[in-house]
Amino acid sequence: MTGTDTVSLMVLAVVGTLVSVVAWRRTRATTVDFYLAGRRTGMITNAGAICGDYLSAASFLGVAAAVYASGLDGVWYATGFAAGFVPVLLFIAAPLRRLGTVSLPDFLAVRFGSARVRIAAVVAVELIILSYLVPQAVGSGVTWELLVGEGIAGLTPYTTGVVVSTVAVGGIVVIGGMRGTTWNQALQFGFLLAVAVWLGALLWAGGFSYPAAVEQASTQPLQAVVGERLVEVPNQLTGEPARFGVPGARYGTLGQLALLVTLVLGTAGLPHVMNRYFTSATGRAARTSTVWVLGLAGAFYAVAVMLGTATRILVAEQADEPWLAELTVDGVLRVPEHALLVLGRLLAGTPGLAVVSAAAFAAMVSTIGGLLLAAAASFGHDVVARIWRPSGGPREAVLAGRAAVLVISILAAAAAIAVDPERLLATFPSLIATMITWAFALAGSALTPVLLLGIWWRETTARGAVAGIWTGAAVAVLALVMGLILGPDVGDGLSAVLFAPALVAAPLSAATIAVVSRVDTGPPVDPRLWTRMHGTAADRQAERLARITLRGRR
Amino acid sequence: MARSEMGPGTPRGPEEFDGPAEVAAAARTQRRIALGYGLLFSVAILSVPLLSVALPWWSGARLVGGMSPSFVVAAGGLYVFFLVVAVAAATLARSVEDRMLGSSSDEGPGTER
Repeated sequence: MTGTDTVSLMVLAVVGTLVSVVAWRRTRATTVDFYLAGRRTGMITNAGAICGDYLSAASFLGVAAAVYASGLDGVWYATGFAAGFVPVLLFIAAPLRRLGTVSLPDFLAVRFGSARVRIAAVVAVELIILSYLVPQAVGSGVTWELLVGEGIAGLTPYTTGVVVSTVAVGGIVVIGGMRGTTWNQALQFGFLLAVAVWLGALLWAGGFSYPAAVEQASTQPLQAVVGERLVEVPNQLTGEPARFGVPGARYGTLGQLALLVTLVLGTAGLPHVMNRYFTSATGRAARTSTVWVLGLAGAFYAVAVMLGTATRILVAEQADEPWLAELTVDGVLRVPEHALLVLGRLLAGTPGLAVVSAAAFAAMVSTIGGLLLAAAASFGHDVVARIWRPSGGPREAVLAGRAAVLVISILAAAAAIAVDPERLLATFPSLIATMITWAFALAGSALTPVLLLGIWWRETTARGAVAGIWTGAAVAVLALVMGLILGPDVGDGLSAVLFAPALVAAPLSAATIAVVSRVDTGPPVDPRLWTRMHGTAADRQAERLARITLRGRR
Repeated sequence: MARSEMGPGTPRGPEEFDGPAEVAAAARTQRRIALGYGLLFSVAILSVPLLSVALPWWSGARLVGGMSPSFVVAAGGLYVFFLVVAVAAATLARSVEDRMLGSSSDEGPGTER
């Protein structure tokens, strides 16, 4: 590790720690303060924090890697990630905030007045969080391996990266709670966006032409490294050799649809992202934050796609560089996840690699922070405070949440260490983005249908909700396990759906909710809840108080 | 209407509250709007991969350099579309709320809210 690498990582660590300590000093040991930053997060701050939460290793390293490896088919990851916020804005953001709950399981439990709904949702949330945390930790390990190349205390470089990132983020969350995590996430997203734009500016300054790069990348058939040799990637639509700018390098038509539906539906069910909406001051603020998210995330993904394209050209052109020769086979990267890191070094030397690595760590750290906080909220609030020990008080709930952060951190690190990225990378190009898709599939199948129907269909009952959550989760898990057993036939057909199963699992879950709710004789929704969820009285009250406060300050 | 069915108020100043009937009507309108924009969004996003199969020009033609219409839309155009849909839907949702809710405030009609 060079001096520049050390300095960039140290700066990142010091900023994160300072922000957390300041937040800790301003955080009281109450549920609303620790989990929801006092529900006073500003619209743009929250939009930045949502982006920081959402733009993980899969977005920062994974999108560029997917574009590098699969060309136009890799672009669909970026499109799906951004598109997921449109349904959130249309159907979920404002009502979710207006009910005034603490977490997704809490929202569903209050909406349906049922402890069983809460338990089912907590199980789904913890499963989603674990499956989302593991690829983040894998990304940390892969980045550390490339940046530092050395382990600490006898650990391999990969294991060291996994351990350092999870310990660091666990500490930030335990100390800073939601307020510290919010500030860290907003700052880290600003850093990510700045680094992506900086890389783009360096490209333009060097005479890079985006349209010409797509043309140049498409002249030769796409190749990928399998083992130690290059193989031509077949087009899944035509059977001919795949090309960069032509669809079919990775997915057939059904595969593309399955991926898109899974990413679009999955976003609305991601607990760490949806939990951020509870920190908004009002339902209207939550909706406006989502508009900002779409603008900011769209800008980021558009640049990330361009960077993936540029890497395809530049790596092939400069593969003779000794340091790059180690990472490539005949001008093609062995590990597509290295694309953005390599681009940083190609454009700005070792300092460039250090800055991109720091940004990659920032992406992972902010997402891991959000995930751990969501795990803490669902365990500390939903399990301990609401089910296990309702008489325990908020201090005990916050303590339980902090303990949950430690346990989930250890589980995720252990799972990431058990994963053998070298072996899996041979099977799944753009491994991190692929693994993240599994978390989206689970979220989109288990939670999104019940959220949509619970918010917009009054007749949805608690039994219907429980049946829908279990059905969606079971079908998604079964499909993913079958997919892993059968192997990734990446073409059209059964396996394309098995790896992005929300296309089937979400409609099944929704149908189950509808049928069970229809035959159920349970009580209808409490009119007071419906009024709170869809009314704007609390928003108007909060806006009026804000105006009075502003007038008082003048 | 029982006060317990109303939205929250605070000790500071007149309370804001919504009646269940007006909220139900507003929710139905919001649902129609969301479904309409959702349909537009679904058609747009699903048509991009489907057009690759149905219309060879979509992924075969070159608009700028090596970029096909499919590439241009997927790599940049859709993000602009998402933002336009988001701004339009959020603006309409807010105006529906302003128009349909809040008429039963304690302050009476015409008062600033």
